[in-house]
Amino acid sequence: MSGDGVKAKNGAMIAYDGRMAFKKMSGGGEGLRGMVTRRLTGEQMEVMEVKGHGTCWFADRASEISLVSLNGQKLYVEASNLLCTDGGLRTGTSFTGLRGGAQGNGLFTTTVEGTGQAALLSDGPAVVLRVSEQYPLQVDPGAYVAHTHGLRQSFQSGVNFRTLIGEGSGEAFQIRFEGEGLVYVQPSERNTVGGDV
Amino acid sequence: MSTHPVQGHGGPDVHDPHTLPSDDNVNPYTFCVDLDGQWFLQKGKMIAYYGRIDFDGIGHGRFDRLVAGNFHSPLHASDWVVAEGRGKMLLADRAFDVNSYDLEEGNLTIRSGNLLAFQPGLSLKQSIIPGFLTLIGTGKFVAASNGPVVFAEPPVRVDPQALVGWADCPSPCHHYDHQYLRGVMGGLRAMTGIGGASGEEHQFEFVGAGQVLIQSSEQLMPVAETGAVPQQAGVPGGGAGQHGVPQLPGSLGDLQRRFGL
Repeated sequence: MSGDGVKAKNGAMIAYDGRMAFKKMSGGGEGLRGMVTRRLTGEQMEVMEVKGHGTCWFADRASEISLVSLNGQKLYVEASNLLCTDGGLRTGTSFTGLRGGAQGNGLFTTTVEGTGQAALLSDGPAVVLRVSEQYPLQVDPGAYVAHTHGLRQSFQSGVNFRTLIGEGSGEAFQIRFEGEGLVYVQPSERNTVGGDV
Repeated sequence: MSTHPVQGHGGPDVHDPHTLPSDDNVNPYTFCVDLDGQWFLQKGKMIAYYGRIDFDGIGHGRFDRLVAGNFHSPLHASDWVVAEGRGKMLLADRAFDVNSYDLEEGNLTIRSGNLLAFQPGLSLKQSIIPGFLTLIGTGKFVAASNGPVVFAEPPVRVDPQALVGWADCPSPCHHYDHQYLRGVMGGLRAMTGIGGASGEEHQFEFVGAGQVLIQSSEQLMPVAETGAVPQQAGVPGGGAGQHGVPQLPGSLGDLQRRFGL
């Protein structure tokens, strides 16, 4: 880092050398509108801005970290899985549709766009899966971490009368990705409403 | 830490259906099944899949014969799911280490919480040791462990918390440190807890020919329900009165399986 800024999850700094300044950014540095949107949508992030010269190390509860380089593309990520982004990347909120409801993470997700690098958190090393037109991918909502722009997502459910009498398969809900892009999944499932039925 | 370009030329870590391994580990925590037919999974261990795969709860309709062939009792199969179809399926369990093992006309007994998935060539039985399951037959199975698994050949004594399972050898017996239990100090320690303990006074002892699977930590995985045993004389653990899998209120699962509805 040399004079430029980085946006990071509040309290994620573990060590640094050189000179650093840490500043809490209210509303994730998205201005008043962003702040209101986040509060309304429940995709709240505690973000700080780090500026200075030297090296700064970030970590969060020993979770695994994957770096994603963006070149003007857009990345969709769960707010809880985003560790830090280059200062040049814009973050925002977007509506994800129905699947957020089953995931227990709300109906909205965080977007990161611009040019630079973003660091993602996952419980266990993330597996990156390519989606192409011939090969759509189905992901368990509890294992989903992030996906890139250019993918259509839909919600697929295998709920039938068996589920209602407690004989479900435990895999009743999946997010289906179609199009061209990458999906990040973690080798662990968050506790979701859908995971139990 | 690894860097992935988002699009364009794929980094080494980007997988698609052709680069995913076939019935092998993607990384130490994720296993890829090349499915063509059926596999049995514990509920909720599938994280992603390519292709057309259906997931069905076990114990009804067309799966009735599978249950008869592959499970010890139709009443305790409700933790398991049949994955059926073609495609590549990724399995993982709470970011624990996962590994696959092959059995050939063999038997393996494993702690119930550690078993993730198995091929239909194997049948799953409830061990008479509470909390353990036995797999019999030929096929592949996937097990999770807290830290990588080490194999040991009997005779060996294993810490109870580190034991994952054993194959082909007789079931273990308890072993206690003789010096520790004996004499005045031993009695005092047993009565009052005073006198200190090294935490290693009790082991499981294995003899015979076979393999013992040991995990490299003493952190136990959460136990999965293996089902209650009949309350009869001579049945170890019988009459413990545990009921099977917790079910949603109004659920008819047990009844439905018993009467084959």
